[in-house]
Amino acid sequence: MDKNSWLEVSLIVKGELAEAVSEVLARFAPNGVAIESTEIKAAPDEYGEPTGPLRVAAYLPIDDKIEENRQKLEESLYFLGLIQPLPKTEFKIIQDKNWMESWKKHFKPIRVGKKLLVLPAWIKNSDPERIPIKIDPGMAFGTGTHPTTQLSLLLLEEYLQPGDNIIDVGSGSGILSIAALKLGAKTAFGVDIELNAKAVATENAIINDIYEGYYFEIGSVEQVKDGIFPIRQAPIVIANILAHILIQLLDQGMGDLIAPDGILLLSGILDVMEEKLMAEIEKHGLFSVKRIQMDDWVGLAFRNK
Amino acid sequence: MAKKVKAIIKLEIEAGKATPAPPIGPALASHGINIMQFTKEYNARTSSRMGEILPAEITVFQDSSFKFVLKSPPAAYLLKKAAGIEKGSGEPNREKVGTVTKDQVRQIAETKMNDLNALDIEAAMRQIEGTALNMGIEVKG
Repeated sequence: MDKNSWLEVSLIVKGELAEAVSEVLARFAPNGVAIESTEIKAAPDEYGEPTGPLRVAAYLPIDDKIEENRQKLEESLYFLGLIQPLPKTEFKIIQDKNWMESWKKHFKPIRVGKKLLVLPAWIKNSDPERIPIKIDPGMAFGTGTHPTTQLSLLLLEEYLQPGDNIIDVGSGSGILSIAALKLGAKTAFGVDIELNAKAVATENAIINDIYEGYYFEIGSVEQVKDGIFPIRQAPIVIANILAHILIQLLDQGMGDLIAPDGILLLSGILDVMEEKLMAEIEKHGLFSVKRIQMDDWVGLAFRNK
Repeated sequence: MAKKVKAIIKLEIEAGKATPAPPIGPALASHGINIMQFTKEYNARTSSRMGEILPAEITVFQDSSFKFVLKSPPAAYLLKKAAGIEKGSGEPNREKVGTVTKDQVRQIAETKMNDLNALDIEAAMRQIEGTALNMGIEVKG
């Protein structure tokens, strides 16, 4: 058997048996178990409810121990079946593949705000009225489809004035810097501590035909503040990072990067973390001017006092 | 406007360690879900609880968008923890591998009450006891 493959083990069982079967499968499947509804009950709101039997599936790596593990697993299911009858177990070999790629055929362009269209590099812009932001969703950073990225783009669209400079803290894929330049920013300075971010951001800039006005450096907020790089302040500072990191960045002086009368745009904040973040914001002399929410994520805009 | 639900998938996986490898890859890719987005968000939400099995229940809509909520750890996981054992019995009808008290069953039932389809705590406890029986764990007291 091909060692770059997995043995899929699955059973369709009644709901009350799913946990017991899952527990048996989990003993042999290193990464966990998937339990999927076989029927959905229609519901008036957007959430359906699973009904009917459940399909419990686990994946055993095909290695030198696969035969032994399969035998032990079948024995365990046999003994469980002595307590409560179980249906036939299905076994299927599946080839290992790039799971990150296989979802792409379902991807569709996403309209954001009034002007932007986020789409993967392999799709042509079908909406010429909008500004295309091309991003390869397979890359290691933001895909543009996540609510936090969409909130960031909405805030940029609202607050960025043509000719502004921006600092994009934790810029990752560079999508926000790219969007800022396409919306009319004069310069966008992206900074990130991730070493491989520069290569990804550069590639994304190229697929978006951005060749001027974009600067990217590997570095920290403190280094920007200390003037190590050519830009140390801008009228717009944006950061799309999880809230606990944003709090650390505020302590490191992110607020000092905002030019007088400038604005700080923050995203990446789960609503349950908002209160904690706001308490920190108070300490740094910033006041809130905008709050938007998408699902349980929040985007915020602040001005310096 | 309400969106039509295509599938509901529960992944019983370890907190903070979601990767595209099976079971996540095959379970989500077939529904057109952005796997990177799910793993990133799951890991962000669960990184403070590394070492625990924290199920994610994913609702997939017809347009391949999705939402997920975190569920309480599986009853089997909580029972093993309470009994101090690593795994359930290979022959649960004959070989008992651990014991839990009625009070521990009640605690587990209370922890999982929101996720169980049970009318009251007694019904929830009966479900937990059923799982214990299937694992070769005795309930005493």
